[in-house]
Amino acid sequence: MHRVRGSRWATRCALALACVLGSALVPAAAGGAVLGAQAPADSMAFYKALDLETAGKYREAVPLFRAALHTATGGNALLGLERVYTELGCADSLLAPLDTLIASNPRDETYRTVQLRTLQGLGLNAQLRSAFDNWVSAAPTSAVPYREYARLLLEKNQAAAADTVLARARQVLGSTKDFQLELAQARAAEGQWIESAQAWRQALVTADYLEQAAAYALAPTPSASRQQIRDIFLAPPIEVSSRRALADLETTWGSPSDGWNALKDLPPDSAAAEAWSDYATRSETEDRWTFARQALESALRWRHTPELALRAATAALNSGDAPAALRLAPISDARGDSALVARSYLPLQARALATLGRPQEAERLVAGYDRLLTPGAKNSLTRIIAWGWVRTGDMNRARAALAASGPEGDSSDAAGWLALYDGNIKSARTLLRGGTESTPELALALGLVARLKVDSAPAIGKAFLTLARADTSDAAAQFVAAAEQTPTVRSMLLLTAAQLESALNRETAAIALWTRILNGDSDTPEAPEAELEWARLLRQRRDAAGATAHLEHLILTYPQSALLPQARRELELVKSAIPPGS
Amino acid sequence: MYSSLISASCRRVLAGLLLLSSASVAARAQRLLVPMDDAQQNHLKAYGLTYNAIKAAASAEWLLNYRGGSFLLADTPEIRRQAALAGITTEPVDDKRLAAIRAEIAANNMESVPLEKAPKIAVYTPSDALPWDDAVTLALKYAGIDYTEIYDDEVERGDLSKYDWVHLHHEDFTGQLNKFYLSYRDAPWFIDLLQKNTAAAKRLGFANIPALKKDVAMKIRDFVERGGFLFAMCGATETLDLAIAGRNVDIAQSFIDGTPMDPDADAKMDWKSTFAFQNAHLEQSPFVNAMSDIDGHQVNVPGRRQPLGTFTLFNFSAKFDPVPSMLVQNHRAVINDFYGVTTSFMKADIKPGVTILATEEGAPWVKYIHGDLGKGTWTFYGGHDPEDPSHAIGNPPTDLSLFKNSPGYRLILNNVLFPAAKKKPLKT
Repeated sequence: MHRVRGSRWATRCALALACVLGSALVPAAAGGAVLGAQAPADSMAFYKALDLETAGKYREAVPLFRAALHTATGGNALLGLERVYTELGCADSLLAPLDTLIASNPRDETYRTVQLRTLQGLGLNAQLRSAFDNWVSAAPTSAVPYREYARLLLEKNQAAAADTVLARARQVLGSTKDFQLELAQARAAEGQWIESAQAWRQALVTADYLEQAAAYALAPTPSASRQQIRDIFLAPPIEVSSRRALADLETTWGSPSDGWNALKDLPPDSAAAEAWSDYATRSETEDRWTFARQALESALRWRHTPELALRAATAALNSGDAPAALRLAPISDARGDSALVARSYLPLQARALATLGRPQEAERLVAGYDRLLTPGAKNSLTRIIAWGWVRTGDMNRARAALAASGPEGDSSDAAGWLALYDGNIKSARTLLRGGTESTPELALALGLVARLKVDSAPAIGKAFLTLARADTSDAAAQFVAAAEQTPTVRSMLLLTAAQLESALNRETAAIALWTRILNGDSDTPEAPEAELEWARLLRQRRDAAGATAHLEHLILTYPQSALLPQARRELELVKSAIPPGS
Repeated sequence: MYSSLISASCRRVLAGLLLLSSASVAARAQRLLVPMDDAQQNHLKAYGLTYNAIKAAASAEWLLNYRGGSFLLADTPEIRRQAALAGITTEPVDDKRLAAIRAEIAANNMESVPLEKAPKIAVYTPSDALPWDDAVTLALKYAGIDYTEIYDDEVERGDLSKYDWVHLHHEDFTGQLNKFYLSYRDAPWFIDLLQKNTAAAKRLGFANIPALKKDVAMKIRDFVERGGFLFAMCGATETLDLAIAGRNVDIAQSFIDGTPMDPDADAKMDWKSTFAFQNAHLEQSPFVNAMSDIDGHQVNVPGRRQPLGTFTLFNFSAKFDPVPSMLVQNHRAVINDFYGVTTSFMKADIKPGVTILATEEGAPWVKYIHGDLGKGTWTFYGGHDPEDPSHAIGNPPTDLSLFKNSPGYRLILNNVLFPAAKKKPLKT
C-alpha cells in the first residue's frame, strides 16, 4: 500500500480538468471587456491578427496582437498573443507585456490568470508562487487567485500542493464554497475518495455540468469505499445533478442496476425526465434493455411522446416483455398517421405479436397497411410473421408466409431455419450459410450442418424447433435423442444438450452428458469443451480439487486444443495464482 | 529356466541386442532445457518449475547468459507434466546436444551453475495483507513457489533463523507508516493500520512503533550477517537503512511518536552498520512525503518528482562474477522503470563496494543494487510493481497471467533462485 501518482494520474487529472476548466474559461476568453477600459476605439489590428493566426502566420500576428492589447479587444488580444507565442515556442515573451498590463490593473483576473499559466508553462515555479502571492496581496478578499493557482497545480498533478493552497484559502476567506471543484479534484488525486465525493456533491449544486467530471474523478474509488460514496450522493436533498453523477459512476463500476437506483426516485420534472432519457440512451447502446425500459417508462410518465413510447416499447420487447411492448406503443399513438404506423409501429407490433405466438393477428395488421409498405419492408414483415408461425408450430403456414414474400423469402435465413426444422439439412446448409444473423444458435446450426454427412436429419430438426419454441427442457431431451441417431455429430448434440441442462441448473444431467462425451467421444473437439465446462461448474461450486483434476486432464490430454489458454487461466484461478476477478 | 533353452550363440545375440537397447535409452533426452530467451512462452512460471524441481531433489542447472539464462532440468515425467500444465516451453536435450551446449558455454561469457537446495522463503508482511499488494508475493503465487508470511511477532521471537531468504516490500522501518498520516489520517484502513502497529509495539515491549521497527530492522540485519539472503523492494530498501543508521536517534515525526524529529538527526546518523547507503539526508519536514534524499524519483513529493525512464542491466562476467550474473539474467537488457515509495537510489548515497546491477543512463540514480554483509547477501530493487508503473492505493492488482514474460518481474524471481546455487569460491 503506498501512494504513487504518476503519468497515468497526470493524464486523468489533466483530462478531467480539461473538461472542467474548458467550460469555465470560456466566459473569460469571450468576455474580455474589462481589458479595454482605456483602449482606443480602433480594434482592426486584433481582427487582422486573428486572420494571420488562422493562416498559421504566427510571427506576423504577434505585432498586431501586441498593438491590440490596449484596444477594446485587449482581453482577446492577450489570449491571442498567448496562443501564438506558444506556437512559436517563446512563451516567455509574454511576461514583459503582462507585467505592464498588471501594473496598470493589478486586480484584473484575466491578466493574472494568463500570467500564472505562462509561468507554469515555463516551469518557473518560484516566480509562479511569487505571482500568486502578489495577486493575493492585490485582491485579498477574492477567491479567484486561490482557485486559479490550485487549478494549475492540479493540472500538473500536484495535488498536495493544491490542497495546501485551498487550506490557506479556507483560512483567509473563511469558507470553501468557491473551491468545491478544486477541493474535489485534489482529494480524488490524493485518494481521499470520501472527502472528494463530499466536495463533488457541493460543487454539483452550482455547476451541474460537472457531473461527468465527478464520475470520471471518482471512478477509481476502491470497492471498500464505494458504499460511502453512494451514501453521500444519495443523501437528501435529492438533486438531479448528483444523482446523474452517481448513476454514471455506478455504470462505470459495472453496476447498472445501482445506476438506475440512483435515478429512479427523482421527483418527476423536466430535468429528471432528461436524466432518465439520457440513462436510457446509454442503456440502449449497451444492450441493457430492462434498465432502458424502466428509465423510458419513468420519462413517459412525466411527458408522453410517441418517440419515447416507441423507444420504451422496443426496450420492453428486447428485454423479453412482448405484452408490454404492445401496451406501451399502441397504434393509436400515431393519431391516424398511416405512414408513421407503417414505418415505425408496424414492425414493432408485428414482432411482438409473432413473439407472443399470435401470427394471425400480425398478418391481419400488416395486410391493413399493405399499400404503404415498400417491398423490402413487406418482406421483412413477412419473415417476422413466418417466425410467428414457427413459434406456434404451424410449419405449413410458416412456409406459406415465406412463399408469399416472393423469391427473397425463399432464400432467406428464415427459410434456412425452416429447412433445418424440417430436417432438410441440404437446404439448411445452403441457406443458413448466407444468413445475416450472428447468434450462438446460428453458429451451432452452421457447425452441425457442416459436419453432417447426410442430407436429411429430422430428429435434429425437431430438437432445434423445440428450442425455437423456447421449450429448453424438452429441447435438451430432443438433442440427446437426435445424438443417438446421428453418430457423426453425436458429441456436438450432447454438448448442446448439456449446455441446456446446465442453463436449467440441472447439474446432474449436465454432468452425465459431459461424462458420455468424455467416455464415448474423447477424440472430438467437444471433449475438451465438455471438460472445460465441467471444470467451470466445479469451480463455481468451490470444488477446487475436482476442477483442478478436469483442467489438468484437459491440458495434458488435448495439448493442441484452442481452449488451452482458457483452461490454464481457469487453473490459475482455481489455484489462486492470480487475483480473483481477473 | 528359459535361458537354459537358449543356445550360446543366441545368448550372444541377445546380449548384443540388450547393449543396443541400453544405448538407445542413453540417446533419448535425459535433460529438459527450459529456454529463457524469446522462445519461452511463460518466463515467470519457468522459475516456479525450476524451484519445485530443486525442491523435489531433481538435478537442475542455471545456464547463465545462455539463451536468456536458461535452466537445464532432469527430464522426468513430473517435470514434463508441470511444464505442460503451466504452458512452459521446454526442449528435450540429448547427450549430443548437451555436449554442444556445454561447449558453447565454455567458449563464451556463459557459465553453468548447479542449483542444489530450494531456499526456504519468508515474506515480511502483515497477516491481513493480500498477496496482490506486493510484487514479490504476486510473482511467487503466480510462479507456484511456496512461502511463509512473517511479521514483527515472528521476527522478535527469532523465527528469521528458520529461513534462507527473506523479502521485504513497502514496510517503513522508520516506523512512520510511510507518512500516510499526511493524506490518509481519517481513512479507516489507515486508522486500522495505526492501531494494529501501536498494539504490536506495546505487546512486544516497545514504547512506540518507531522503536519496534528499528529493532526489527536490526534483527533483519543480524539475519543477513549470519548468512541469510535479503531481498527488498520499494520503501523497505531506503527505510531499512535509515532505521539502522538512526537506531539511536529520534528520526520519527511527532504524529507517530509524540515528539518531533531530533533537529540534529542528520548529524547523528551512524551509517557504519547499514547495508547500502551512507551520508544521506533525512527529510526534516513532517509535511513532505519523503523519508530522505536516497530516492532519486521522490514520487510523492510534488515539485521533486522525476519522470520515469528506462533502466539497463549490467552484463557481468558469468565465469568470474556468477552472483551478480545470476541476478541480472534476462531476455531484455533495457527495462521500463516503475515508481514506488522508493523508486531508485541516488549514486551519491551508495556505499563503496556495493554492486550496481542496473542503472538509468545519464541519471544520478541507480535502480538495482546488491552487496554482501557478513556471511550473507542483500539485494535492493527500487519501485513497487514492474508492470504497474504508477501503482496507487486502491488500484486493481496486477494479473501476471497477462505479463508472463515480464522482464521486470524476472529480476525478482532471479533473486528467489539465486540462493539455490551451489556455493563456489568467488573468483573475484
